[in-house]
Amino acid sequence: MEILDGSPRQKLSRYVEWLITAVVLINCSAVILDSVPEIHADHKEFFHELEFWSVMFFTLEYVLRVWSFGARFKPEEGGAWRGRKSYIFSPFGLVDFFATMPHYLHVFFPTLDLRILRVLRLLRILKLSKYNTALQDLVQAVYAERRAFGSAAFLLLISTIVSASLMHFAEGHEQPKAFGSIPHSIYWAIITITSGYGNVEPVTKAGEIIALLTGFLGVCMAAIMTGIVASAFATQLSRKKQAYKTQLMKVLADGVVSEAEQEALKRLQNQFRLSDQEVQSMVDEYNKNKETQA
Amino acid sequence: MSQVAPSPESPLSRLRRRTYEILDGAVVDRASHACEIFIASLVVANVIAIILESVQDIHEAYEAYFHIFDLASVVVFSCEYVLRVWSYSEKYRGEGDSPWRGRKEYIFSPFGLVDFFSTVPFYLQLLFPGADLRVLRMFRLMRIFKLSRYNSAMEDMLEAIKSEWDSFSSALFLLMISCLLFSSLIYIIEGHDQPDVFPSIPAAMHWFILTIIAGWGNVDPVTYVGTVLVIVTQVLAIALAAILTGVVATAYTAQVQRREAIYEMEVREVLADGVVTDQEKQALKVLQTKYGMSDEQVEAIARQVNAEKAEREKAEREKAAQG
Repeated sequence: MEILDGSPRQKLSRYVEWLITAVVLINCSAVILDSVPEIHADHKEFFHELEFWSVMFFTLEYVLRVWSFGARFKPEEGGAWRGRKSYIFSPFGLVDFFATMPHYLHVFFPTLDLRILRVLRLLRILKLSKYNTALQDLVQAVYAERRAFGSAAFLLLISTIVSASLMHFAEGHEQPKAFGSIPHSIYWAIITITSGYGNVEPVTKAGEIIALLTGFLGVCMAAIMTGIVASAFATQLSRKKQAYKTQLMKVLADGVVSEAEQEALKRLQNQFRLSDQEVQSMVDEYNKNKETQA
Repeated sequence: MSQVAPSPESPLSRLRRRTYEILDGAVVDRASHACEIFIASLVVANVIAIILESVQDIHEAYEAYFHIFDLASVVVFSCEYVLRVWSYSEKYRGEGDSPWRGRKEYIFSPFGLVDFFSTVPFYLQLLFPGADLRVLRMFRLMRIFKLSRYNSAMEDMLEAIKSEWDSFSSALFLLMISCLLFSSLIYIIEGHDQPDVFPSIPAAMHWFILTIIAGWGNVDPVTYVGTVLVIVTQVLAIALAAILTGVVATAYTAQVQRREAIYEMEVREVLADGVVTDQEKQALKVLQTKYGMSDEQVEAIARQVNAEKAEREKAEREKAAQG
């Protein structure tokens, strides 16, 4: 459990992490190279072997994870199956499952479409996200600002529908092929908002103005989205710093810094990815405060 | 919060008050929630109907249904509008103003205008059947803006943008000036060589805005000076996007901080007397949902306030011991 989960930083769990990452990367390169017909023809056997052994490896990893995650909760907290269940139904557990399972499906039902199988094999790259804590930060930051994102999406929806409909009313008669119905114009509106430049040139003056306004709206939408993400990130960072500072103050308050406290702080610092400099400045500030108080 | 009602209340005014509470959603209860959901889903259904109606095949096949649906929605929206105007007299009740103050405020608010203009054209058409159908449809589409009443996050966003209005307007000013300057320049430089794409300054403006929003304005320059001008315009486009993004980000961050400050003040006030009543707890909860703050954030604030309080008490005790 400790080796696979990597919660205390040990050398062994580090190695396992590296090994899994390497196998995943090799797998993904293989899937990409395999799609080139010449390479596929030349090295078919090798790819087949590789696929077989990696599936064995991932299966072993999955089984070990399910087995060992039983140790996550103490028996009085729900027993072995609570931890197992929490892993199996977590996003990571599902990725692990679906990245490995298709191979067995293919063995049992050889008639399945190979292309779907390949896409599912590419899912293995998602296994890497487990080791990327920055990605989890990103998801968290976005989740914290989900309301703002929701309203930005709402704004996007409204502007798409309104500009598509206006375009339909303005150009529906002149260009029935592109703007004959609102669903057709919606396609145009989305292209214009995302790239600033629609797939169809407007022919009327009103249409031209609507197209320009739609493109400008696209710029504004990008600005709003980017702004929200930037703000969410900044807020999250300051929140983390605050949390670390609280912890630090608690440790320093009694005047003694024990070994265990030091290690806990170190881990927290790693988790929040604060630099040594920032920590040092916090400690300095605390010391200065203390002096002035004394 | 709620106004003190004069004791003898006629059933009519009680009904009016209730209608106001339900429609305005100021008092959160099941009826007002249900009303919100009903109107919002009717608006969504309306928008979908307008979109589908524009597809020729579907329009021909189900014309009668669309007509009935539109009729029914107009009836509902008209009722909503009339009830709103009638009941909004309750808004400033008890402040001694005439009932028309609240009504006027609603009628001329953006929401009131949207409600009006998305419904009334239907009646206009009944009176003057010769009106252009396309214009009518355009007004019907305005119903989509009725939804924004129920999206409180959007109000926040608009507020954030409004508070940074100065920066926004200076960005727009920059855009306008450069539009005038660059389109005149390109007209002077390339107008002779490409008379079909730059026949006039307005046409050059069209090119400029396209370049700003899409990065490429549909036309390749033919002179050297023109090439330099196009490149500068493209760089300007990137700068403008960066400015807009930065302004939004700042505005948003400032707003989040403002909210946290307001919440913190509220928490301080609640904790000041040492007792947290159920009512206070609920008020905090309402504020938390309104600002969309996570439990984690709230906990951090409460912890900080508590820590400060403990420190202060300690200092006071020491002072008392010394004295």
